[in-house]
Amino acid sequence: MQNFVEQFTLNFIDDNRYQYILQGFVNTLIITFLAALLGIALGFLVAIIRSGHDKTGHMKIPNFICQVYLTVVRGTPTMIQLLIIYYVIFASVNVSKIFAAVVAFGLNSGAYVAEIVRSGIMSVDEGQSEAGRSLGLNYRQTMQFIIMPQAFKNVLPALGNEFIVLLKETSISGYIGLTDLTHGGDIIRGITFSPFMPLIAVALIYLLLVTGLSWCVGRLERRLRVSER
Amino acid sequence: MSGKVLLETKDLYKEFDGNQVLRGISTQICQGEVVAIIGPSGCGKSTFLRSLNLLETPTAGSVVFEGKEITAPGVDVNKIRQKIGMVFQQFNLFANLSIQENITLAPVKLGLMSKEQADKRALDLLERVGLPDKANAYPSMLSGGQKQRIAIARALAMNPDVMLFDEPTSALDPEMVGEVLELMRELAKDGMTMVVVTHEMGFAREVASRVMFINEGVICEENEPQEFFGNPRNQRLQDFLSKVL
Repeated sequence: MQNFVEQFTLNFIDDNRYQYILQGFVNTLIITFLAALLGIALGFLVAIIRSGHDKTGHMKIPNFICQVYLTVVRGTPTMIQLLIIYYVIFASVNVSKIFAAVVAFGLNSGAYVAEIVRSGIMSVDEGQSEAGRSLGLNYRQTMQFIIMPQAFKNVLPALGNEFIVLLKETSISGYIGLTDLTHGGDIIRGITFSPFMPLIAVALIYLLLVTGLSWCVGRLERRLRVSER
Repeated sequence: MSGKVLLETKDLYKEFDGNQVLRGISTQICQGEVVAIIGPSGCGKSTFLRSLNLLETPTAGSVVFEGKEITAPGVDVNKIRQKIGMVFQQFNLFANLSIQENITLAPVKLGLMSKEQADKRALDLLERVGLPDKANAYPSMLSGGQKQRIAIARALAMNPDVMLFDEPTSALDPEMVGEVLELMRELAKDGMTMVVVTHEMGFAREVASRVMFINEGVICEENEPQEFFGNPRNQRLQDFLSKVL
């Protein structure tokens, strides 16, 4: 027990080392949140373009761009994307590491969100769309008021999962020298040479975050399920 | 036959991947008519019906609605569809919306009615289809017959000039067929122009002003119901009737 207290003091209290974890925690939250927003925006846009193209045959060029985007993002490791965005694309402009990370993770997540949302759109029965169009609603109105709300509800569990993955994936931010939660814990380990405490602390915080996120998604799911009772 | 020509098809062809489903259908539907379309499955009767509001785009030929060729390029088909109600075999109520919202969505979003007007109209229509207490229910809570009556109310909310019915009772449990047919019978009595693809020979005989037999993508025979059922001339129709009656 004495050993535990000693270790705890050494890793977190001495020299205010907990600050590394705190700062990392805040950075991880910021990156995840903003990247998720970017991912949602991009993902919905791409999904709408792709399913619109599949259905009407219009938007050939945007669809092609989306295809390239999906192929590249899903075909390369996230870490490489992060490194390329920070060290190559933003090499000559002075941007913050957080900004680069948000762009990298947002672009990455967008590709996965896009395919999730597209599967949601396809899961809505064709008759729903036909009924909307038969009333004189145009394609956009039918998508907006009838298809997307149902698609969103259908893919909510998968989307929740994607954001859990995103949250954990930000743990590679250390590769561009950004102090995220993982990197913060690792800095402490580097100073104290005792791996147990900082790593377990970091793991526990991730676990808590993911549990909280799952809980929120679950609540939203239950709220949206009203129409099925 | 009464009134002016409301809907007309001229030499309508439809092909799906090399499969000729419609092979030249020409007919006229006049105001106030109730046309029942019967025929074996896969004969093209649903495709024909769906061509009338361009849910299917004909490969060749034209559809004329209220004197306007709606198959011509540049026609705003959404505008046309506002005047052509459609009722589907699978009801297709919007699963994410309440019954009232199902009925009011299109009139409000298309700017035809204010929210208040549409709500009032919805309640009137719910009264008319005998489901006034279902305004706040969701589609999944209703029986098939109730869903189909709501679907009819939803189409009526647009004040259509003609209603298309695509096998409206085929997905219903037998005991629910009656309530839907009864409602359609009332609509017909009120003078609604209707085109009904159906397997309900009784309905076709009693309510329709004209019955049309489609086989292999062409109209083989059409006549007023008494003559159609009592004295069928086409060989294929005679076979068909002998099997279903």
